[in-house]
Amino acid sequence: MPQSFDSRNPPFDRLDAAEIDQLRQALDVGYFAPGQVIIAADQPAQFFHVIIKGLVEERRDGEVDHVLEAKDSFDARALIHGKPGSAFVAAEETLCYLIPKDIVLGLTQNNPAFGAFFYSEISRKLDALAQSREGQGVESVLRARISEARLQPAVFIAADATIKEAAMAMQDSHTNALFVRDGQRVGVVTGMNLAKAVLNKAKAATTPVRDVCHFDVVAVDKDDFIIDALLLMTRHNKRRLAVRDNGELAGMLEDIGILGLFAGNSQLIPGRIDRAKSIADLETTASDIQAQVERLHRQGVKADLIAEITSDLNRRLFAKLFELTAPKSILSKGCLMIMGSEGRGEQTVRTDQDNGLLLAGPVAEEDLTAFRKLFTSALERLGFPPCPGNIMVRNPIWSMPVEDFIRQVKGWVMTPEENTPMYLAILADAIPVGRNPDLLARAKSALFDVLRGEKIHMAHFAKAIDMFAGSGGMLNALMSSVGREDAINLKKAGVFPIVHGIRSYAIEKGIADTGTLTRIEALAAQGALDGDMAKELAGAFRYLMELRLRSQLAAVKHGNPEAEADIKPSTLTTLERDLLRDALRVVKEFRELVRAHYNLRMF
Amino acid sequence: MLRFLRHTIDRFVIQDTSFKFLYDRDDSGEVVSLDCETTGFDPWIDDVISVAAIRIKDNRIVTHAAFTALVKPEAEMRPEAMKVHRLLHRDVESAKPMAEVLPDLLRFIGSRPILGYWIDFDMSMLDKYVLHHLGVRLPNERIEVSKLYYERKYGDAPQGTQLDLRFEAIRGDLKLPPINQHDAFEDALLAAKMYVILKDMKQRGVRIARTSGIGGVNAGEPPRPVHGF
Repeated sequence: MPQSFDSRNPPFDRLDAAEIDQLRQALDVGYFAPGQVIIAADQPAQFFHVIIKGLVEERRDGEVDHVLEAKDSFDARALIHGKPGSAFVAAEETLCYLIPKDIVLGLTQNNPAFGAFFYSEISRKLDALAQSREGQGVESVLRARISEARLQPAVFIAADATIKEAAMAMQDSHTNALFVRDGQRVGVVTGMNLAKAVLNKAKAATTPVRDVCHFDVVAVDKDDFIIDALLLMTRHNKRRLAVRDNGELAGMLEDIGILGLFAGNSQLIPGRIDRAKSIADLETTASDIQAQVERLHRQGVKADLIAEITSDLNRRLFAKLFELTAPKSILSKGCLMIMGSEGRGEQTVRTDQDNGLLLAGPVAEEDLTAFRKLFTSALERLGFPPCPGNIMVRNPIWSMPVEDFIRQVKGWVMTPEENTPMYLAILADAIPVGRNPDLLARAKSALFDVLRGEKIHMAHFAKAIDMFAGSGGMLNALMSSVGREDAINLKKAGVFPIVHGIRSYAIEKGIADTGTLTRIEALAAQGALDGDMAKELAGAFRYLMELRLRSQLAAVKHGNPEAEADIKPSTLTTLERDLLRDALRVVKEFRELVRAHYNLRMF
Repeated sequence: MLRFLRHTIDRFVIQDTSFKFLYDRDDSGEVVSLDCETTGFDPWIDDVISVAAIRIKDNRIVTHAAFTALVKPEAEMRPEAMKVHRLLHRDVESAKPMAEVLPDLLRFIGSRPILGYWIDFDMSMLDKYVLHHLGVRLPNERIEVSKLYYERKYGDAPQGTQLDLRFEAIRGDLKLPPINQHDAFEDALLAAKMYVILKDMKQRGVRIARTSGIGGVNAGEPPRPVHGF
């Protein structure tokens, strides 16, 4: 009956008025003293708890995994699945709503949207969540400004100019419509107008464009909304609108430009990369690729898909840049390696460049020296920050003949040093660019063979999964100083352990794929990874990427690149916090699995 | 002592013997949080128009089996009070008169201690009816939430410390979420939440910090319980 029970707090926002009423009728309020166990591990719960005030620790194996705060709820697993798992302990004076088990069970059965919250698998939960987000994309596009769409440049031609001259002007400026200046009037002529005049009406190519253009130009302001443009196009039956900037004609908006806002302009980018004749030509394209990430995200495209599109375009960009910067000797004998997250196809917002060069044989020293410098700085110019670990073509240990490189890799495995495990991991994710992909294939199979040759090498490699262990505890720090919130580093706490554990398994099983999700699939297909674990890992990974992308975009926006992987739990909704908890729980289970598999307790 | 004597006498004076349970020894281990909304501040003139009672067993506030009732007042509802509790004539028109509500309420409360904020006011409102129908006053032990709070917060305060014992101030200090005040159920629930927290603090010997200098949040204003009448 408490009206103060917040029915807008997820998952209760999915209940209808009658269901909320039923729930309110059944509620009690419980108080828990600091240190009091609310739900013991391995004990099915009688209530679903929603915190009114206070903090509750979720503990597993004696460690604090998470700290829950007001509006958080617990615990679906204890309630529905009766799974042995975490204990829930009041960390301070805590009040909770107590919702009886049978009420919750009844609601989950009658209301699928509510029930989805109680799925034990994060993958299923995410699917249910994704359905409710559909449609957001369209809305965000309609609310975008016209200036955000790709506009055709404003190119002017005099009304006396001929059809032929107009056609030439269109070709030169890569547009298919021109503004026609006729005294005070301004008209528009399109490629289609020209074609029709010549072909259908048999007009001479010397006819002035004044005779074939039209002067009923419809204009919008660049700060208007896309929805305004769509309405005008419909009302006036136009496929093009003139765009004004401070009253001056500044460009043209085509219907296809709006389509680009929906679908992204990815289909246009490869063509522009192919046509590029200099590094400068690639600069705008590179920044377009980056701008598209933000737009796709805003439209609700999933992070793994954004990463796929972006990586695809970036690879074309690398290939073109390689072509533009490498001398013939290196082009014919070299294989560019794109490594790390870019190699896995998981980079969305650019963090750094990890690349190298393998050569089939020695090349002239001056060619190599010049290329090393040029390629690395060109990439920097395109917006790829240099690698802090200096894993770049510029660094001679990352650009050498393949035989020498293989010898070096074997050395890294046999006599590990501080940085070598990271080198090996980065190399394991490499993909080839250029004419000699077999060079990388040789280097990688040498790496795989030597790692798989000895259990101890594999274990040394896998051990890095513990590099950030301990940072997996969500909100640990919140405990020590209530009110001063510490951000969670998504990369260290979630993404890295999954990527590295999966990478280790993939090497062990000889899987050549580099993407984490593809590797997971391949491992599950081989039976090397339990099917449920594979699904959960993929779900957790996708969700972490989603949050990571969000934090990266925020970091870019606030000019705070160090915080690119940080997320503050208070900026998340209750539902998102719950999903993050689930994801980090999966990470923890997986880490245990990897530890056991490689016997890492020995170290 | 006076109370004891009066109860002993009342026990024999009570007119309706079916209510003798009010004098039973209470071994339920429960307390009842009570709140009344009234037509005004004067127990002799004003009437109860809604009442809520919620049992607390151990550390559990049993809201799902709470007692709530609207009461048809005998006195006229005054506009200024209506603005506070937002109950209109037509809301209470169809309600039962206190004569019908009281037996159920008393059975719900039994001989359990009664808890509330400015509980003496609520009790004297109820006593008016109880006296009328049974010829006695309610014998139940009273627990004053603001007193529990005072002990935890100001029990060791130097003389001259400004007190702030407003319901809203206690709520804020205990970091409880705000509620729609002047709803009998919500007020009773809030008092119940305060009670379980303060009782536990007392058991653990924890005090509430007095921070923001002299006078706390509300320096200058005399301590004055502002109640949802």
